[in-house]
Amino acid sequence: MSDPSGLTRRERLALFLQREVSRLASWFWIPASAFTMRYLLGYRIRNASRLRRRFRAMLRESDGPVLICANHLTMVDSALVAWALGGTWWSVFNFRWVPWNLPETRNFASGGISQLAVWLTKCIPIRRGGRRQDVSTILRRVQHLLSRGETALIFAEGGRSRTGRVQTDSIAHGMGRIAASVAGCRALCVYLRGDRQRTWSALPVIGDSFYVDIDMFQPTSDRSGMRRSRDFARQIAERLVRMEETYFARRQRRS
Amino acid sequence: MTREEILAKVVEIVRPFAKNKDALETAGPETNILEDLKVNSARLVDVILEFEDEFDIEVEDEDADSVNTIGDAVDLIEAKIG
Repeated sequence: MSDPSGLTRRERLALFLQREVSRLASWFWIPASAFTMRYLLGYRIRNASRLRRRFRAMLRESDGPVLICANHLTMVDSALVAWALGGTWWSVFNFRWVPWNLPETRNFASGGISQLAVWLTKCIPIRRGGRRQDVSTILRRVQHLLSRGETALIFAEGGRSRTGRVQTDSIAHGMGRIAASVAGCRALCVYLRGDRQRTWSALPVIGDSFYVDIDMFQPTSDRSGMRRSRDFARQIAERLVRMEETYFARRQRRS
Repeated sequence: MTREEILAKVVEIVRPFAKNKDALETAGPETNILEDLKVNSARLVDVILEFEDEFDIEVEDEDADSVNTIGDAVDLIEAKIG
């Protein structure tokens, strides 16, 4: 698989080192993270077994790169998505499918210990709205990782939705750029929402149950340049909007 | 097309996306599009796509990475239109 990123040898080595240390540490941090969500915060993923079977079946359909694209409402969504899709021990033993995350530097990686924690947990901090060259460097790292068979999670709207719904007017162009630049990249759209999640927040309500829906597809475009990336980003966003509509339609039928 | 003409067109294209309209009135080559004009980073892509339409050029994502200021945009457009 070709690597479109153009990273230097040193940058590639740094990512390799991070992945391997993170893999070793995963025996601790993945169960600890799952324990925290399940028992300390009381979270539940609805139909988790069925969801995980679907996820693994989707992965078996092709060996190509997968970019996970999710909606975003709380600061722990990335952990919830990883837990929902992989569970605890499957994730430890199938570490390549534990997604790399791109947390906002100001929220998660501003100090020494938090910086170490994000490094150990497959995270590459990003400053949203920062210098374009810096953002580009991060995106190239993700391109490299995907082309090496890893997976990454990116939030379709960049940050948490301020309306509580998928905001198509603030779609992260970087998401389309990554998907368009990695040959054969499929987008795994994930729609996650707590039953008691009205709008965006720091954390979901303690004890909440989560609806999770997934859908995989390969975006296409006959255009080139930035328009191709934008087409990809739009297609992913539209898919998430449809998944959200399905969620609210089901919820209305239940009530 | 002269550099000044390109600059004037760039400012007009950025205008609808800029939240800081006051900064726009004194905008020059050194004006930072995101920080000074307060253009949403997600909308910067739309701004650059407008450049494509206006100047009949094609911009790659990598080219767009160099656009931080109005002057950077003018440099990019100048290079593209030759």
